Amino acid sequence: MKLAYYPGCVAQESGKELDLATRWVCRALGIELAEFPTFSCCGSGFVDEANEVLNVAINTRNLAIAERAGLDLLTICSTCQGMLTLANVRLQDPAVKRRVDGALKPLGIEYRGSVKVKHLLRVLTEDVGLAAVKAKVVRPLNGLKVGAFYGCHLLRPADEMQWESGEEPHAFEDLLEAVGATPVYYRGRVMCCGFPIQFVKAETAQRIAAHQIDDAKAHGADAMATPCPLCHISLDSFQNQAARTVGHRLDLPVFHLPQVVGLALGASPEELGLARHLVPTGPALAKVAPSLRA
Amino acid sequence: MADATISAVFDVYRFDPSKDREPRYQRFALDLAPHTPVLSALLQIRAEQDPTLTLRYSCRSAICGSCAMQVNSKSRLACETQIGPEMERHGRIVIEPMRNQAVLRDLVVDQQPFWQRYDSIEPHLILDPSHPMPEDRATSMTPAQVERFKETPRCIACAACYSACPAVSADPAFPGPMALAKLYRFVVDPRDSATQERLVRIQPNGLWLCLRCHLCTEACPKDVRPSERIRDLKELAIQVQGGTEAGSKHAIGFKENIRERGLLSEMKLVRQTSGVVGLAAQAGQGLRIWRKKPEIARRPHRIEGLDEVEKIYEALDRPPQEGS
Repeated sequence: MKLAYYPGCVAQESGKELDLATRWVCRALGIELAEFPTFSCCGSGFVDEANEVLNVAINTRNLAIAERAGLDLLTICSTCQGMLTLANVRLQDPAVKRRVDGALKPLGIEYRGSVKVKHLLRVLTEDVGLAAVKAKVVRPLNGLKVGAFYGCHLLRPADEMQWESGEEPHAFEDLLEAVGATPVYYRGRVMCCGFPIQFVKAETAQRIAAHQIDDAKAHGADAMATPCPLCHISLDSFQNQAARTVGHRLDLPVFHLPQVVGLALGASPEELGLARHLVPTGPALAKVAPSLRA
Repeated sequence: MADATISAVFDVYRFDPSKDREPRYQRFALDLAPHTPVLSALLQIRAEQDPTLTLRYSCRSAICGSCAMQVNSKSRLACETQIGPEMERHGRIVIEPMRNQAVLRDLVVDQQPFWQRYDSIEPHLILDPSHPMPEDRATSMTPAQVERFKETPRCIACAACYSACPAVSADPAFPGPMALAKLYRFVVDPRDSATQERLVRIQPNGLWLCLRCHLCTEACPKDVRPSERIRDLKELAIQVQGGTEAGSKHAIGFKENIRERGLLSEMKLVRQTSGVVGLAAQAGQGLRIWRKKPEIARRPHRIEGLDEVEKIYEALDRPPQEGS
């Protein structure tokens, strides 16, 4: 299987561990990643707020790059997944398409609409398949209770994202079971991490993040795992501030999705960049194998 | 032939603040056809098993908006939610009052704050006194004008969106999805004369607290799509005023940020939104993150084909109308 790899901005910079883990897992599962230094940022939902048509146009350019190569697109971020899918959807509006074409055609960019945008979670659960993932597990995550945290844009609006239920998804929990972990079901798993307003009103954003972390803990989670590096920033990089805002300790490790899979497939903590997390992953790793250290 | 019945199990939230110290869940079992609406089941429970079960309902036809409640944690109209799929997915049906509103008794909540927020957006046409409405005929709109707000009049004010919204839970300054969707409707109504004032007023009053999580759009039984109307409001507010609030500064800053290299420069974005003072205030946290993730201070590489991105911006991104 060969896919156009769209790492997104964060995984190329401060979330480098997500990129590391993705490459490791894809290598292990025989997914070939085609790279394109021409890809731009997806706009992260913020460009969509400032200028909807511009946002569709820059993502149409990204989609056209994959289409020229004859490949579907692999995302590793719920927000990238959402914005690129949204471009595919909004282009069906003739008025939007006319304006986007008006900007792209003079550049020789034409997009016919053939590219499927697929998040790694979907590729692992549907294209690779749970049985094939399970067959490669060498270090089952037995005893590790993990609260999946989906990230809004992977799911919603569900009629536009055209995949899982917007409120009751199960793909991530299915994957966690396949690698031997025990999925924890909690309301917060489909809620917002607070990230979009981290720079608007930090305290509110942190209260929202803390709420989901507390919810996962109350349901027995040893760790959370997310398919979105922006959620990871909110839940891991800013967890100390969230704890301060709500006035109690949180101390819950947060994995990126491919780190959880990579661990089960035998990757070392170094290969998955686990030492780069702000909240130490050691206590969760110890549940998998006493010898594991971040 | 009627459907075979299924054994449905309901765990219903019960709470009377005047008597009970805390809420409890009461279990009821019924044999019902899978297409039975949750509301019909609750009314049967009240008629046959417990006459004290308190709930709000009226039309039973998804028109009045009275019977919104949580069905297995989803904010839904009880009258149009069937029990079959819920039993299949969850093995039981947990019925709770709507969130984000104080419980008066059992499934009935205090809607006062919801309506206060709605009133705060002045949900009526504000007319220009120098152009009064003609008295002898209706004012007309073109189909294109109506098209711009075709979803919003479908709203039945059931408050399902308000119940589903995490921003409402976390911050009383957020007016909620329904109020903002209604505001949008008046902002784009060609008969309304206060478009700019409305946008200027809402910017510092909660517009930018929307998380665009789209939970409201999932919950809405009438496909009003409040999160998308809020997005529209944000773009209109930027067109009118540019960046005046942290939220609009952030959206504009992000847009300009990726224009430079094609990828996001994280540290620069913080400076663009929060200013140098804000950056300094975040210095401790920044340092803490930088120790683990030194790339945060690095400028990203420049993508290939950046000239294409620049030309797309030139074609589609006109600067906001200053001072208008």
